[in-house]
Amino acid sequence: MKDRLAAALKTSRADYTEIRVERTWSSAVTFRGRRLETATVSEDQGGFVRALDRGCGWGIASFTSLDELPAMVARAHELSRAIQLDRPIHLAETVPQVADAALDLDGDVRGISLGEKKKLIETYNGAMLGVSDAVVDTQAIYRDEVSEVWYVNSEGTALAQLRPEVTVSGTAIARRNGTIEKGLESIGLRKGWRSVHGLEERFRVVAQRAVELLDAPRVQGGAYPVILDNELAGVFVHEAFGHLSEADFVYENPQAREMMTLGRRFGKPVLNVGDNGAATGLRGTLPFDDEGTPTQDTPLIKDGILVGRLHSRETAAALGERPTGNARAISFRHPPIVRMTNTYIAPGRKGATLQDLIKDVKLGVYACGAFGGQTMLENFSFTAAWGHMIRDGHIAEMVKDVVLAGNLFQTLDRIDHIAGDFTWNQMGGGCGKGGQFPLAVTEGAPHVRIEEILVGGDV
Amino acid sequence: MIDRLLAAAGHADVLWRREERTAIAFDAGRLKTAGITEEAGINLRVVAAGRMGVAGTTAAAPDLGELVARARASAELGEDLDLVFPPTSPLPHVPTFFDRAADASLDDLIALGRGLVERLAREGCQVNVAIEREVGETAVGNTAGARGGYAATGVGVTAEIIRIAADDVLMIYDQYVGGDLPSGDALEALARSIEMRLEAALTIVSPPEGALPVVFTPAGLAAIVLPLEQALSGKTVLQGSSPLAAKVGEQAFDPRLSIVDDPVAPNGPASRPLDDECVPSARTALVERGIVRGFVYDLETAARAKARSTGHGRRGIFGKPQIRYTNLIVGPGPDGVGAQHAAPLQLGGGLISDVKDGLIVDDLIGVGQGNVIGGGFSHPVGLAYRVQGGEITGRVKDAAVAGNVYDLLKSIAGFGTDGRWLGSRWSPSLRLDGVSVARR
Repeated sequence: MKDRLAAALKTSRADYTEIRVERTWSSAVTFRGRRLETATVSEDQGGFVRALDRGCGWGIASFTSLDELPAMVARAHELSRAIQLDRPIHLAETVPQVADAALDLDGDVRGISLGEKKKLIETYNGAMLGVSDAVVDTQAIYRDEVSEVWYVNSEGTALAQLRPEVTVSGTAIARRNGTIEKGLESIGLRKGWRSVHGLEERFRVVAQRAVELLDAPRVQGGAYPVILDNELAGVFVHEAFGHLSEADFVYENPQAREMMTLGRRFGKPVLNVGDNGAATGLRGTLPFDDEGTPTQDTPLIKDGILVGRLHSRETAAALGERPTGNARAISFRHPPIVRMTNTYIAPGRKGATLQDLIKDVKLGVYACGAFGGQTMLENFSFTAAWGHMIRDGHIAEMVKDVVLAGNLFQTLDRIDHIAGDFTWNQMGGGCGKGGQFPLAVTEGAPHVRIEEILVGGDV
Repeated sequence: MIDRLLAAAGHADVLWRREERTAIAFDAGRLKTAGITEEAGINLRVVAAGRMGVAGTTAAAPDLGELVARARASAELGEDLDLVFPPTSPLPHVPTFFDRAADASLDDLIALGRGLVERLAREGCQVNVAIEREVGETAVGNTAGARGGYAATGVGVTAEIIRIAADDVLMIYDQYVGGDLPSGDALEALARSIEMRLEAALTIVSPPEGALPVVFTPAGLAAIVLPLEQALSGKTVLQGSSPLAAKVGEQAFDPRLSIVDDPVAPNGPASRPLDDECVPSARTALVERGIVRGFVYDLETAARAKARSTGHGRRGIFGKPQIRYTNLIVGPGPDGVGAQHAAPLQLGGGLISDVKDGLIVDDLIGVGQGNVIGGGFSHPVGLAYRVQGGEITGRVKDAAVAGNVYDLLKSIAGFGTDGRWLGSRWSPSLRLDGVSVARR
């Protein structure tokens, strides 16, 4: 395949050309309630060409028919030439990479029968349904894929990558009369068949929690001290800060550049944040991004000060910084854009525990698990799966509908305690941006305390 | 190919779809990207020994035997299902293909985008505009003899202004979605809508607190409509998790609320003559004057629920058909569509004159991430305005609204005069009183 791409590349008359071809083999088994919804095996394939002539714009072509490859190379060049730019697009220099990078398949999912996959997810589905009669509906999904990705560009980079992924997830719906609650479990790994066994207890626990939420009161709205558990703290850093650190938000906007000047203080000295696409064995990990740049650990906030941001080659050149290996595309249907990989809040003082964060809180909220998060850059929301009130330094009654309303400039600066109990949270699903969803990312954090943040709800 | 595939598959139905998209993007006012996408694929469903299986492929010259074998393997694990494919029947006439859209050249699209960029340009604001034009062909068939197909065009224009002043980030977005290119009036309405919201947002005021009247604009209404969309899906009803399942014929909402799904709506962005399972398109009344009338079904959920498919089967290339709404019309009367903008367009849709203190909510953050099916919502505001003494006094930040859709919709304070399409949903603004507003 590399030869075929190299040959197509030679036909291009553009100043810069890149070609990405993917073949993805996937299977999925879904249960809804006691019923099997689907069990399917699919193969998806296609290509992507991006061309850039000096002084022109990006020309892009994506297609499912690989026979069209030479024609698409010409078409992408033609589209590039249709756009004349006063300020030309530059790409930051990178060292051309030639590599075959096959990630560990950890039990190749392609060798396991659909029947065995059905048995596995049926067990997890059964674990949720078995909790109580109040669990009226479930959804349990097993999904795996193995992607072969070839990438070449006209600067000499030629890569062949093998990327595995496996996800098991479950939703439990509990209902009593008019009250309906849900529990969510999701495990997504850049691994294979061997890594998704023995998880029954985790599925049982979320179904149990959905039932418990039926009796929990809604949290009362207002500003509270809030302690985030590891999972929600991970979602928090992704939404609160990760998206702002993506350089495509600032590089064309002088006011945004000013707002995000390196060296600006965003938090107290306890706060350290980074993004590490090269971390070992995580879902957001890849050896190279989709422009062929090697991934790396990029510090974003050090001791509370903004020190870095995430780049593609284009944004790095525009800001005079170095590419960080964060140009990613969810598939051949899309161009690479600046995205996170594995984003983290670094652990605080070694040995610092949840108890240390709670002990002097008179009235607060312990917000746990994540239903999701969304950002509008300055303002963002993140939704806990459940919560507990904190009263006089102790974890008290369970509450539900804990939605936190954050503000970039106020919330980060109000993080005053960070525990030492760091974990990575490898969830399924993923991040959405620019119409590209779901992108495999991971978040990692210890328990984190925010002095004061707005919690939505009745007042 | 469809005939050959069906002959090989036994009891089956199939969808073939080909799409070509042309997209351009102006980033910070500059045209920087032009792209095309070509995609084609087949989705096959078989019923073998009373069990259902599916398979799909995007291969250019698919091996039909392999596709059938994969669908059969999928069926071997499947559940029993008495799936009856619809016979051939007459289809309604729905315009889906517009020559002007199909024939528009790259330069035409660029000119359209450039015009909008210039119209929206202003000091201190970043303007992003994206235009996408799609030309597609769909063909469906089944072993009961039904065949159908249509060509369709689709145009999407999105415009966004990002204004950063010191540490204040303001983002205002709007879109046009339709089968044809937007008219000059439609583009002007899009620009005016952004301008109007921007101007009112330049002043920042402190948010109110308490149980207050809140006007949800057609964009802000998403959090209110989403639980209803889930509850009115035949799938949710079948699973026993719809709060509306047992309420057919009952007055569940204020009599001013009606909800219709209309795949044959003139100018409806999602209009088409039949669904992806060969079921002819027809209007489905879901809520009429506050009374629950029915739910949307595809073939499978209808078969399991002993109901009739309402023609809401939608399939991708991979996976099995799923229920999908087409043009969802939410408004004061069952025949509400067509009541176009009361000119000039007004923020709040004429619903604020008697509001002493309240909010207009245009965008909420995190919609869809809570306990949607239960009807509860709680979201920070993305874009909202304070109303005092019947007037908009400015934009509010750091506030959150919360409530339960099923409680709030028992009594509606009013629908606005600003009905419009937003994607494939049509609605005016909606005012609800007693929505919780919290602030920091």
